[in-house]
Amino acid sequence: MAAARIEFKGSSFTLSVLHLKTATIADIRADLAKKVAQAPDFFYLVPIVVSIDKLNDDIDYQGIKTLIEEFNFTFVGFTGAISKEQRQLIRECGFSFVNTAKANTVKKTVLVEESVAEKPKAVIATPQRDLYTDKIHRGQIRSGQQVYAKDQNLVVIGSVSAGAEVIADGNIHVYGSLRGRAIAGATGHHKAQIYCQKLEAELVSINGNYWLSESMEEHWASPVYIQLTDNELTSSKLI
Amino acid sequence: MARIIVVTSGKGGVGKTTSSAAIGLGLALKGHKVVLIDFDIGLRNLDLIMGCERRVVYDFVNVINGEATLNQALIKDKRVSSLSILPASQTRDKDALNKENVGKVLEDLGKLYDFIICDSPAGIEAGAMMALYYADEAIITTNPEVSSVRDSDRIIGMLASRSRRAELGLEPIKEHLLLTRYSPKRVAEGEMLSVEDVEDILSIPLLGVIPESQAVLKASNAGEPVILDTESDAGQAYQDVIDRLLGETIDFRFLVVEKKGIFSRMFGG
Repeated sequence: MAAARIEFKGSSFTLSVLHLKTATIADIRADLAKKVAQAPDFFYLVPIVVSIDKLNDDIDYQGIKTLIEEFNFTFVGFTGAISKEQRQLIRECGFSFVNTAKANTVKKTVLVEESVAEKPKAVIATPQRDLYTDKIHRGQIRSGQQVYAKDQNLVVIGSVSAGAEVIADGNIHVYGSLRGRAIAGATGHHKAQIYCQKLEAELVSINGNYWLSESMEEHWASPVYIQLTDNELTSSKLI
Repeated sequence: MARIIVVTSGKGGVGKTTSSAAIGLGLALKGHKVVLIDFDIGLRNLDLIMGCERRVVYDFVNVINGEATLNQALIKDKRVSSLSILPASQTRDKDALNKENVGKVLEDLGKLYDFIICDSPAGIEAGAMMALYYADEAIITTNPEVSSVRDSDRIIGMLASRSRRAELGLEPIKEHLLLTRYSPKRVAEGEMLSVEDVEDILSIPLLGVIPESQAVLKASNAGEPVILDTESDAGQAYQDVIDRLLGETIDFRFLVVEKKGIFSRMFGG
């Protein structure tokens, strides 16, 4: 499949927020002029979010935006703890409403929700879990087959043939010979381990650190478990 | 109900057709009604090994397309009357077969025969999938050599996932391991995988071990399946395979280097 040419991802940015304590355009203009005069270069094209937290309902959104741009800021959108109706109004005017990070985690909404068609993936990283459930595969996994235990440990009651691939987000247990590839902690889990009755693997990998057969000489063809210690793979005899 | 047995391997040149011919003829010699089907469309070989290449008028593809009846296409073996051969087409390609029509032909044959032996083409593409799709049992032909073993492993995986039995969730295909071109001498010298090695990797029941033998090439060229050569070790080994397929328990032979007798040592035999 061809690689996607565009992709939506959530990211956090530090933005300047202009807190308004008045809705009167003339007053805002006067104060802004003073501020900008102190450091015109600093404010030039700075992206800015306008907080209307402290204002009443009667706000000239278009007027504020025009004013902001008059001073050569880049207008991003409005923010503040305001009513649903008010947000609706902001959207109708064609502006985005931006939640602050705090509101973001509480309500689990995404920064740019309004402006994109497809929801970007949640910004919060998947928490590392210590406990996974097991996916149990009975029988041999043959060359060319691939078994993936998503968000689970993988238990194989049988051997994994050369040319086969077993992948788990948690640990991998092979009650047989491991001759193919085993990839544990596939989505990033440094505590994942690989256990097998007989180590004859083509490749073992934990959390992106891998060994090819040549690195397994010490415990070749033995019952072994493999783990990650200080970002280095180590193998130890099971019995 | 007929037993549909596919002879398959993944890798080419390991002895699928030789084994199909020997097993088909061997079962027929035991009095069973057997039909051998060549699924290797475009690379017709089974008729040569069976010695009936000059008698091919219609073929499997003709039957599939309704251009000939089964009776017109089936070739009766001249040695054993209970054996027939359904040859492949040499001029078509493997896309000429489709599941539905193959199923129909197998169903019709099932009413007439006890055993349907499907000689599979090499590879894991459409042709090989077609040959194994309707199988009840599979004879995995393997040479004691790493690439052949790995390809067999792949095919065993396919049997468990791509066959009709797998799709319908029926009892899985019964697998048999047939090790061909086995040379105990080379195993002893560490040049070849041993029976135990192959069994360990593939972990399916062993049906037979056919020793590497000059008799096989001779038989192929003569169009006389090697099982007819009862003097040869390969012929005898195939005979054991037949007995095991029919449910007997027979010790495996030809697994160790034969010690030369005093006479052959003296006379360099």
